Amino acid sequence: MTTYIISRLLYTIPIVFGVLLLTFVLFNLVGGDISVEIAGKDATQETIDEIREEYGLNKPLFFSLDSQFANHFKNALTFDFGRARDRELVINKIKRGIGPSLALTVPIFFGVVIISVSLSLVVAFVRGTIWDILAVVICVAGMSIPYLSFILFGQYFLAYKWGLFPVFFSPDLSLARNVALPVLIGITAGLGRNLRFFRTVMLDEMRNDYVRTAFAKGLKTRRVLFKHVLKNAMIPIITRVVSAIPFLFLGSLLLERFFGIPGLGYLMVEAIGSRDYFVISAMTYISALLFVVFNLITDICYSLVDPRISLE
Amino acid sequence: MKFVRIISAPALHRLQTHYQIRMSVRLALLVTTIGAGLIIAGCDSSASIEEPNEMVLHHVLSAKIKGLDPGNMRDVYSIIVASQIFEPLYQYHFLKRPYELVPLLAEDMPQISDDLLTYTIRIKKGVYFQDDLCFSNSKGRELKAKDFVFSLKRIANIKYLSQNWSIFDNKIVGLDEFREYTKICNSEADVDYSRQVQGLTTPDDYTLIIRLKKSWPQLCTVLADIATAPVAKEAVDYYGKDIISHPVGTGPFRLNVWRRDSYIELVRSPSFRGEFYPSSGEPGDAEAGYLDDAGKPVPFADRVLWTIIEERQPAWLLFLQGKVDATVIPKDNFDEVMDGAGELTPAMKQHNIHLKTFNDPSTYWLGFNMLDPVLGKNKPLRSAISYAIDREKFIELFFNNRHPVAYGLIPPIMPSYNPEIKEKGYAKYDPEKAQELLKEAEKIHGGKLPTLKIALPGTSTWYRQFGQFLKRNLNAVGLEVETEYMDMPTYQEKVNTKSIQMFTSGSSATSPDAQDFLAMFYSRYNAPGPNKFNYSNPEFDELYEKAQVMLDSPEKHQLYRKMELIVLEDCPAAFLNHRVAYVLHHDWYKNYKPHAFAYGLSKYRRIDLVKRTAYKELLKTIK
Repeated sequence: MTTYIISRLLYTIPIVFGVLLLTFVLFNLVGGDISVEIAGKDATQETIDEIREEYGLNKPLFFSLDSQFANHFKNALTFDFGRARDRELVINKIKRGIGPSLALTVPIFFGVVIISVSLSLVVAFVRGTIWDILAVVICVAGMSIPYLSFILFGQYFLAYKWGLFPVFFSPDLSLARNVALPVLIGITAGLGRNLRFFRTVMLDEMRNDYVRTAFAKGLKTRRVLFKHVLKNAMIPIITRVVSAIPFLFLGSLLLERFFGIPGLGYLMVEAIGSRDYFVISAMTYISALLFVVFNLITDICYSLVDPRISLE
Repeated sequence: MKFVRIISAPALHRLQTHYQIRMSVRLALLVTTIGAGLIIAGCDSSASIEEPNEMVLHHVLSAKIKGLDPGNMRDVYSIIVASQIFEPLYQYHFLKRPYELVPLLAEDMPQISDDLLTYTIRIKKGVYFQDDLCFSNSKGRELKAKDFVFSLKRIANIKYLSQNWSIFDNKIVGLDEFREYTKICNSEADVDYSRQVQGLTTPDDYTLIIRLKKSWPQLCTVLADIATAPVAKEAVDYYGKDIISHPVGTGPFRLNVWRRDSYIELVRSPSFRGEFYPSSGEPGDAEAGYLDDAGKPVPFADRVLWTIIEERQPAWLLFLQGKVDATVIPKDNFDEVMDGAGELTPAMKQHNIHLKTFNDPSTYWLGFNMLDPVLGKNKPLRSAISYAIDREKFIELFFNNRHPVAYGLIPPIMPSYNPEIKEKGYAKYDPEKAQELLKEAEKIHGGKLPTLKIALPGTSTWYRQFGQFLKRNLNAVGLEVETEYMDMPTYQEKVNTKSIQMFTSGSSATSPDAQDFLAMFYSRYNAPGPNKFNYSNPEFDELYEKAQVMLDSPEKHQLYRKMELIVLEDCPAAFLNHRVAYVLHHDWYKNYKPHAFAYGLSKYRRIDLVKRTAYKELLKTIK
């Protein structure tokens, strides 16, 4: 397995290089001259030259140790992304936003996965009963209700009317208290879609012969479900779950916006809106890096949960 | 990957053991990850915790701000915050009406020479800059007259690209020459600020003499503008381009925390010299409680906190919860707040909420960039857009019929307002006429008109609805339109670099003179100056220059009206509405007297802590 991991890690080098090349080409060649965009339509050549100098855009594009691409590559590897258009260091923006974003998305992610996987087992077990039908109806309803409605409802009733949570981010409160309601809303809004998916996975698994055999041998329901069925259903679960992890980094735009959580979802959308190439490029690079790493983790997880799979 | 079928019993046993280990590892991984998440979640946000007896003002900003550098900002959100940190020479009296200028950093009102060209201003002694790392020993030094000279020269520095240069353009002897000199400098930092400017002299540390090229009656009101607030050269040198995040002023509050997307916290500045609450006002002020704190030292508040909330619902709910002291009424909650008779509803009265309304000297518009090749040379197109907008419907939908239609650019409360402007018909909703004009516009353009783009300075639901409204109105007459929503700093950057086709914006007067509104169309003040339309009309310019040197008089007002008609005829903007402010505040928020021109008023606000605490109990009984 070690050999496999090392070889996969080596594969990441060309992938990362490709991502860097792609973002560089997209932003520096396809996207036109960034300095003109920053300086504006009516800018003098002098202003444009100053901006080009400041951002190193007056250097050759490729084929030099001090070329723009070489610097782009070097800066990315050292996580030195330079300054955003509002003059703040991009890495500072990301550092500031990553805590709140993860504080929001990580609990939502685990909450949704743990609850929906557990419930899906139960629902799959009682398939065909009124509880199963009710669960499916609730899932479909949950999927159909817009995300914004969950937010407005939660904010009005749970925070304002019943005073259970803060209505909005308050610097006087700990981050845990500030993200509690958004997390709850995120979990509730995400349950329908995930429960329905995992229910299907579990139902497929429950129809297998070994489940009938286990019950016939007199094993307890809990043991059959959580030890045998769950284990065998892990492959599709891992595929869905682990591949979703890199996106946790990107935060949750609507929740961040309505609850004032200063996270990366907001940062990314604002950067796109303001055409802040420096922030977009940094976020794309980090996302790609995480995606590669978590893909590797997914493969490793396959071998951990299923002995029939070995990594070579 | 390779699939291997395990068949032997010993192998199965090994596998089970292996399984248990792996399960343990996975469980540990899961617990670690959740734990890490909780640790992150538990991280405190390093903000000050409100003590029970601490006086904290809780405000809301509905947009992010780009920077807190008075020399280069014009948007109202930055000015609101920066006005608590920086101080100009003069300020408007907090209570007196009509509005009256009084000294702030100046010792007294300026001595003006007989020819109205020389202003001698004595500076207060014992005024200190806020403590900051930029000073030796981090202790703020005393303010000197040279700081004003430096700040004005800095605005003149072309490398600094100040939006405020237009205020001083062609006004002060030698300052335009200084600006010319800065053109040859390599960068902002290379400019030699010790270079003499004849019209800005300091015979001693506490006297500033300003010599003008020609009479400029508005100078005193300009010296009450935050743009003229002194900035310490040490701070500019120390922070360089980061100065926008490190304001160092002389005001009652200093910046403590600024989380750009989240909140701004100011704390009382220990180096503030001290100032006193006014002892007199206008009739009725004593009865209204505005003189309860007369003669007391200000500021009252220990901290001022602005939470940046772009969506209306959370801001409104926070206000009702008592976590925000004052708010405007969101359009969707208007019926909850106001009854049909224009009074607060019983529910609001039960919350001890107070309403203050006042005519804000402001005008809002859909502006056209006159340098845009499609719009700039096509007057029928611009007029068609203006006729296509149903302003009354807009005001009904977005402002609950609270605001008046803007028939021109000068707000109704200004003395130079033209009472006959409505009859001129420039703000009429006439889609048929718009369609006729569009045919003419297509001829001028030489074919089908391209898709036009409107920039809006916000991404909230309100702005999206506004964008949809404009789009629907213009689509109805046959125009294809795209809307671009952006945050305030991006919007400003794009407008200032003339990179926008159409934009929605507005402006409030900084003084009772309507000159602010007319300056927006003077061709020397093109973006990044106040003329964001990049409009140019020699006839208008000539009248503007004539009016600039005139004292306030009926003749001057007449001139303003004439200039207004020229603008309306050329249609560089479709004027939409003026604003009538409806502000709600809690009864613990004291000394809230609406002021049309001043922003540095947090120092006067006081919180009745007993009432604020009692509100929590009141809420329980109401719920």
